[in-house]
Parts: sequence; C-alpha cells; structure tokens
Amino acid sequence: MAEHVILFTGPMGAGKTTAIRSLSEIEVVSTEAGNSERHIVDKATTTVALDYGEIVIGSDDKVRLYGIPGQKRFNFMWTILKKRAKGMVLLVNTDAPDPIGELTFFLEEFRELYDRGGVVVGVTRSDVLDGPSLDDFHEALERTNPGLVIPVFTVDPRESSQMQNMLLALVVNIEMRAAFGAVPAVAG
Amino acid sequence: MSIDVEQVAAVPAPPEAFPEIIGWTQACMAVRSVLSLNTPVHLRMYIQGHEPLLIDFRHHAFSWSTPLEQFPVDAVHTGLETVPTGPDAPPFFELPGQNLDELLWEMGMHSFDGGPAFWMTPGERYHLTRWPNLNHHSHDLRQVQMIAVLGNGYASPAELAAFAGVELHEAQRLINALSLMRILVRSAAAPAPEVAPPTAAQKKQSLFARLRKRIGR
Repeated sequence: MAEHVILFTGPMGAGKTTAIRSLSEIEVVSTEAGNSERHIVDKATTTVALDYGEIVIGSDDKVRLYGIPGQKRFNFMWTILKKRAKGMVLLVNTDAPDPIGELTFFLEEFRELYDRGGVVVGVTRSDVLDGPSLDDFHEALERTNPGLVIPVFTVDPRESSQMQNMLLALVVNIEMRAAFGAVPAVAG
Repeated sequence: MSIDVEQVAAVPAPPEAFPEIIGWTQACMAVRSVLSLNTPVHLRMYIQGHEPLLIDFRHHAFSWSTPLEQFPVDAVHTGLETVPTGPDAPPFFELPGQNLDELLWEMGMHSFDGGPAFWMTPGERYHLTRWPNLNHHSHDLRQVQMIAVLGNGYASPAELAAFAGVELHEAQRLINALSLMRILVRSAAAPAPEVAPPTAAQKKQSLFARLRKRIGR
C-alpha cells in the first residue's frame, strides 16, 4: 500500500488539530497536554507530540495526516516528520501575535518540503478585522519567496469541504509540479 | 451594439439612457477599464429585479443584496453609473462589504460567451501569479487542475483545455475570470508547456484523481 504523508504545521492555536479532525475518516489520535504558554495562546490544552488521522483510498493508498506541535521547542519532531512527508498544509491564524512572521518562519523551516513536494497555506480566523488580509499574506510570500506560486486560502478548519479543497489543491499542485519537472516525479 | 470601454469610466451614463444589456460582458469591460486605468471612480450597476450592485475599487469590495450563490448569469443590466471618488473620500458603502474577487470570479466565468475576453490576444500563453481563494469561489476540480497547470507554467487556452480534458470554452472562461481578477501574466513568447496531457492510465494513477473520487467530489 502506498503511503502519502501530509504534515499540518503552523503556530499554536492555528487549528491544526481541528483541521485533521475535519479530514480524517478515523478517530483522530491526539496527544495533548496542559498549555504552559497561556500568555501567548489562551487555550487549555495544546498538541505536545502529534495528531494523527488518515484517509484510505481503496486498497492501494493511505493518506496519513500528521499535525505537529506548533511550539518551536518541539522542533526535533519536525525534523523527523518532514523527511517522510510529501506535502504540507501550513495553517496561520490572523489573531496570532505575528501571523506574517509565523508564515515566513514555518515556510523557511520546511522549505525542503516545498522543494520536493508542495505547500498550501490556510489563513484561519480571517474574520478578525485587525489582522492581516489575504493580500498581506500574498505580499509577504512574494517578498520572501519570489517566483513561488503557493496556494493561499482563507479557511475555517471546522469545515470539511474547505479542508478538502485545501488538500486537493495541495495534491494536484504537487502532481503538476512533478509533471513540469519542478520536483521529483510523484510515486503512486 | 458597442461601447467605447475606455470611456466608460470617464463618462457617467444616466440609468434611463442605458440600453438594456443581457449578461455580464459589458460589465466586465467596464470593470476591466477602471482597474486597468486605475480610475478614481466607484461603479453602480443597475440590474433588473435586483438591488443596485455597488463596487468600491479602492477598498477592493462590493456590496449587493443578491447572494453570489444565486448569481444571475443572464442578468438584464439597465444602467451603469460611475461615481467619482478620491483618496480622502469615504467608502462607497459600509465596509468591509464583500471581497471584490468573489464577484470578479463569477463575472469572468459568465461573460464573453465562453470566447476570449476582448482584451486578450490570440497566441498568448498565461501564467498564474497568485492562486484564487478557492474557498470563496464556486468551482469544480477540473478548474483546480487547470489552475495548478497555470501556476506551474505558461499555457494557452487550447493547451489548458487539452491538458485538463475539458472543452475549450471551459478553459477560456477560467482564464477570463483569472485575468479579470488580475492574477495572470501573459506572454506571446512563453514556451509551450513541456508536458503532454496525461493519458487515461496516468489519470487513473493520479493521487488527485483517486482522492477526488474517494471524497466524492
């Protein structure tokens, strides 16, 4: 069975766990613990190891969905998982302390994943009036990664159809990049 | 009937003098004209059976009581007004309104009878500069596939249609919409895509195709 690993990254509170729950067809395995950084994000628990969900496609394919902890002190997990991954869903919440900074940080951190697969960006909580607009995210991408055409969508991680749009856009973009020779050919 | 589109933004037309026009082609031309010339105006469109549609270009927003889920493809336009504005003028309506790109997507998809927009030139190839915000546009997955092609190379409408296995007018409508949204660049000199349209076997092997089928889209 071919396995396709998709990482869900982004800062704490961006909606990674919710997004995987919206997509997974199995009960999501989550490892959460008390949030020791409530001065940054006011949520009682946060992911400390990872979330795991999956989508099985017939008898041939399994799409594994891994949500990895957003706190930078867990970046040893990032190193392990990004080696196995084919693509990345990067979620950034507009009410984070520095959403544009988070976008550029995570893209830089996972740049190798873009180079050999693909990335799609989901902007969550886009209804926050004082937060950066979608244009601000595009402009930041164009400034820091000129020439890359990375899909950027606003998204509500609770909405399965919106998360499916993101996942399908990621997969088709990975395949198209392979077809155009931008990345190694996609197996399976 | 024809209108000088370059003048649309400059010469206000009273609604009563405006001939009835069915469809969105002339509206697209007016919007394109304002956007291209960066003219300091708002637009107010009168459409039979609907409240006026207001566009504030400075804030990239529109206001319309008709939901876009009920977009009237064969709208009867009875008037088009330009309203002068300036950098210090108040917004045309209470903000935030709706994102103008959502309207432009629908207008572009339903104009020019599926032929090339009037500002396009035969022989050109197109490349995407930004992905449209697909969670806010009604779309199907063949359009997503075509957008991915345009994001990774240059393609003409015919090449795009062949690659995605769609009718030429479907590819052209998408290009019209993306062009109206100003997220395409064009080049007559761009090389043709170096990839052949996928074979049936390749399509079957595609993870995208299998995933799409799996989630019923």
